[in-house]
Amino acid sequence: MDGVVSGTVVVCPSCGETAGAGARFCESCGAALGGPTPEAAAPEASTVEAVVPQPGPDAGTDPTPPPATCACGGGIAADGYCEQCGARAAVARDHVEEQPAPHVAGVTDVGVRRRRNEDAMALGVVGDVTVLVVCDGVSSAPDSDVASQAAATAARDVLVAGAADVTRGDAGGWSRLLVEAGHRADDAARDAVDDATARQDPPSCTFVAAVVGRELLAAAWLGDSRVYWLPDAGTPEQLTEDDSVAAELMAGGMPRAAAERSPDAHAITRWLGADAEDTTARTVATRPDGPGWVLACSDGLWNYASAPEVVADLLRDAVGRVGADPAALSRDLVAWAKAAGGHDNVTVALARVTWPAVAAAEPVPDTHAEDPGTTPTVRRRSPGSLPEEPDPPAP
Amino acid sequence: MATFRAEVFQNEFLPDGGTDVHAIVTVSAEGVGAASTTGGGVAEIIMVDTSGSMTGAMLRAAKDAAQVAVDHIPDGTWFAIVSGSHVAQRVFPYPNAPVAIVQMEPAAREEAKRAIARLGAQGGTAMSTWLRLADQIFATQPAATQRHAILLTDGKNESEPRAQLTSTIRAVTGRFQCDARGVGERWQVDELREIATALLGTVELIADPEDIAADFKALLATSMSRGVADAQLRVWTPQGGQVLFVRQVAPTVEDLTSRRTQVTPLIGGYPTGAWADESRDYHVAVRVPSKNVGAEQLAARVQVAVADEVVASGLVKAAWSDDASLTARISPEVAHYTGQAELASAIQEGLAAKAAGDEATATVKLGRAVQLAAETGNEEATSKLRRVVEIEDEEHGTVRLKRGASRLDEMALDTASTKTSRVRR
Repeated sequence: MDGVVSGTVVVCPSCGETAGAGARFCESCGAALGGPTPEAAAPEASTVEAVVPQPGPDAGTDPTPPPATCACGGGIAADGYCEQCGARAAVARDHVEEQPAPHVAGVTDVGVRRRRNEDAMALGVVGDVTVLVVCDGVSSAPDSDVASQAAATAARDVLVAGAADVTRGDAGGWSRLLVEAGHRADDAARDAVDDATARQDPPSCTFVAAVVGRELLAAAWLGDSRVYWLPDAGTPEQLTEDDSVAAELMAGGMPRAAAERSPDAHAITRWLGADAEDTTARTVATRPDGPGWVLACSDGLWNYASAPEVVADLLRDAVGRVGADPAALSRDLVAWAKAAGGHDNVTVALARVTWPAVAAAEPVPDTHAEDPGTTPTVRRRSPGSLPEEPDPPAP
Repeated sequence: MATFRAEVFQNEFLPDGGTDVHAIVTVSAEGVGAASTTGGGVAEIIMVDTSGSMTGAMLRAAKDAAQVAVDHIPDGTWFAIVSGSHVAQRVFPYPNAPVAIVQMEPAAREEAKRAIARLGAQGGTAMSTWLRLADQIFATQPAATQRHAILLTDGKNESEPRAQLTSTIRAVTGRFQCDARGVGERWQVDELREIATALLGTVELIADPEDIAADFKALLATSMSRGVADAQLRVWTPQGGQVLFVRQVAPTVEDLTSRRTQVTPLIGGYPTGAWADESRDYHVAVRVPSKNVGAEQLAARVQVAVADEVVASGLVKAAWSDDASLTARISPEVAHYTGQAELASAIQEGLAAKAAGDEATATVKLGRAVQLAAETGNEEATSKLRRVVEIEDEEHGTVRLKRGASRLDEMALDTASTKTSRVRR
């Protein structure tokens, strides 16, 4: 099992039987074999302290208790509204910022039109490895905000704990670890509420993760949250390929703008949660050949800037406005998306890649580990609950 | 242990610039238990019309009904009997008794029935004197906080100006609850409605004197099932907001707007009287300053308070949206009760116009009533309307006034005008 460095065996927490490394389920009793906790594994796995923002024990379950006073000066009642002006008390989840290290930061925001932030992010830095995870809760399924935070945190923890095992240039190692992170995120999404399996619409979310380190940039995804590679010089790329109806239409030859405006564009074909059929993330790895930015985002951003060159221009403009601090940039991009309409929750996570160009790098083939193929699942669902179409992408 | 619940039905979405929020709040009480008569907290007064018009059979029936009522007042309940004409007199406890009200026990019950049997009819009708005496009697027993009265009359309040009755009603409002009953066809619906509405009771027409006893028995059963002596409906609105109206809409339409008392500058209290295991619907309309599309806020907190403690709370929200599919929807509950409230006024205004000889207005109003009764599924109203108008086209509200409509039928329609049908969910 990736990330377990103490030996070649894993002990089943349920029956005590030993299982081989890499086993996901106990051969004896069938129990799922839990992965290493970051606390247990990180010190062994790495001598470098992992930097992982801790949003608090409740961050994934409920928007923190409301603050005692409203902006108008009135008190906040137990029902979550101001006693004077009736404004809804801002909940912590409506706007969250993280910056675990100077070169990496993220902002998730409720946006303008939604009443709850169902996006979640989890960032981490361990040694020279940077981890970005973004999950977008499916708003038509209740409690997806809980699922998305649980999933993002779980995936981040797997990636931080397992990073030490990945060797220089080992794209396969990243892929395996990212797939494992996806499965673990799925477990967390399924466990986010007690009765998930009994629900008609169990909590669910998208998943996208990016790791930067060991001379590689690798990403994994399920759904339509994205990772872009935006080099300072060179061609910007969208590394992920949405599991969505729009992506299928584009694969069939429809231009991006038309596909993304189609009525079902936002219906996703793969996701995490109790009703997800296939939760093996697709992965991709690339070797950046110069400095640039890794951007992980939810559709709340790319609704307004989708094509990689458009995103690259947007980021360049933002750098011009606020400089190269990733926290300031994330904030600026979120504000931009909100100004453009803010129909959905917006999440932007950025990591600066500065390592020196790898001389005469041999190309790393895109590794699609355990690629489930291109057959979409029959079930489709939109991550948005509002019947409206998103604003057309900014020109 | 009584538990209250408040459920809100509304479309919270407002268009850009929208300010008015409507909601139906269903308040239900469960596990209330019976009124605690043995504890001495409950008092009952029966007022019987003994004016000269209460001739033989009518008086006999009224006396019989009062005796039946006495039989159904549980031991321990404070009670008194009042006879009313142009003056009011305490019949039991006897006028010369040292106390104005006594607790029910077997001997008192027998003596009270004897006193009722001796009642004779003479004089005019001045109901203000009846109400004032009842109030004075209740006041002698301050520990009995759950106070209920029944008023029975057969005639018009002819021995005093209407203003006298109105000012007395105002003076005793909030001091006791009163159900008003009119027997026969010579009483005035609007007079009894004024009493019953102010005193949180009901008004009914009893066409046949023989039915009075059964009605009294039912009234007492209802009164004694009310284990919560008094509950207050509270409406909080945000600073800068205002209450447009607060209206009970089920089981009957009663406008409570003008009965607001201030709890805090942002919270108004409205009386609802005693509660049994039951549910009542309220239509709350508030106006709040418009906000940006995408903003959400609380437009009202609708609460139920018993003995100054909030026991249930419902949230009425406002959310501004530019999505017409959201903002154009009208909550079916709000639509239903808006129609029912309009139905009540259409009936009352139609009958008033007819009585004033304005047949054109009467035809239009009663036609509208027929249309609304059909739309909102109020079958009782439809069947009562049918006795007063010939319906040509229900859907369009086309009617002709019935030539031979009896006064009793008109009174029955008028009396029942405020009764609403529940929204079908």
